[in-house]
Amino acid sequence: MDVKYINPFIESFTTVMPQLGFVTIQKGTVSVKGKQLVDTGVFIVIGIVGEVKGNVVYFITLEHAKKIASTMMMGMPVEEFDDMAQSAVSELANMLTATAATIFSNVGITVDISTPTMLYGNDVSVKMNATRVICVEMTADHHPFHINISLE
Amino acid sequence: MADLRIVIVDDSPFSIAVIRGVLEDAGFEVVGEASSLEEVKEVVQRTKPNLVTMDMTLPGTDGLECTRAIHSIDNTIKVIIISSMMDDEIVQEAKKNKASGYIQKPVDSDELLTLVHRIMDHEELFLSLDSEFSDAFKEALLDGINKMTKSLLYFKEESFHHEEHSSAGLTIIMGIIGGFSGRMLLDMKMETAGRIASAVLKRIPSGNEEILAVIGELANIISGNSCSILNRKNKAYGLRVAPPTIMHGEQVHISAPSYKTFSALAETDFGDIMINVGFQRGDDHWM
Repeated sequence: MDVKYINPFIESFTTVMPQLGFVTIQKGTVSVKGKQLVDTGVFIVIGIVGEVKGNVVYFITLEHAKKIASTMMMGMPVEEFDDMAQSAVSELANMLTATAATIFSNVGITVDISTPTMLYGNDVSVKMNATRVICVEMTADHHPFHINISLE
Repeated sequence: MADLRIVIVDDSPFSIAVIRGVLEDAGFEVVGEASSLEEVKEVVQRTKPNLVTMDMTLPGTDGLECTRAIHSIDNTIKVIIISSMMDDEIVQEAKKNKASGYIQKPVDSDELLTLVHRIMDHEELFLSLDSEFSDAFKEALLDGINKMTKSLLYFKEESFHHEEHSSAGLTIIMGIIGGFSGRMLLDMKMETAGRIASAVLKRIPSGNEEILAVIGELANIISGNSCSILNRKNKAYGLRVAPPTIMHGEQVHISAPSYKTFSALAETDFGDIMINVGFQRGDDHWM
């Protein structure tokens, strides 16, 4: 997988998050993972098809997902990860990926994105299609956000 | 398209007359007019239009507030903003408020009619996909299991729904892209996946990795075949699938997406398989 495919996702995150009320956006480590990831929390999967093809899987822990949803809803307290909070986080993943798709098209790579599918649970293993998955760790106001990208 | 019912919202009788003229000359039926938030609510509830043309500046309200009011009555009604003001910021606001299109005054008749046709064609295409996709995916699941395992299945439960559900253990997600975006997912117990893999390979799978590879390919074939069935019915669907993402874990919940999905539970020789599919209406007429 070409490293140039990760920049649109980083740029998208740093563009979109401030629009939603997050102040400090930081880029953490970029690592190459095997096909299989295991984590406990919230996952949002979005398919990408076009001149490159694959998936992006966003991961946030449940506690941080609630806090992110709260910020997106103008600071409204989010005690439970209910329909409203799920919808906010799912829409966030959709916005991040749609913005990344626009950035791809600006550099001449046309892609379309599927609707997001959100799952949450314990010790969830995720198997993505590519042999290598690149994981970009970003934070928005210290809430860690993993962007797992497999594009070929 | 023949039974298209339109309401015009504008505070200028002159603008209403111009828009009405363009639409009626093209054979559309204008069923009402409004020039305030209260009138908008009343006329939309009474006349049940499919489409509303919306001025941006209105006394005591604005086009965005009126658009939200219309969608709280019926969110399938299409709203076209027709305003003398047009810049990136206001167009973004209109998009955010789920308007289907934006044109600037003075109204150019060709531009207005092209936009109306494009929006209503898109809507008709969605309704046709909505009525066809569940059978296509069921057929492809039945066919895929039959060809790969030489066995039959039957559908014991089917529903359109809008709720979160629990995974049986293993979920395969296929993103769908094209004229409309959506997703298909298959959900089953890990043991079911193991038995399917054994039947496909005609031997005991070497481990989880091999089981997941077989199930991923099965999901790929089912979603690919379903989309081909639909694309053959109407090539304007232009559906394509992303590669599978496979997830398994404990107490996994699959959130309800923002649109209605179709689920069918199939009883197979290997255990139950749930197929869940849905498409989003989308707005691809923003040019």
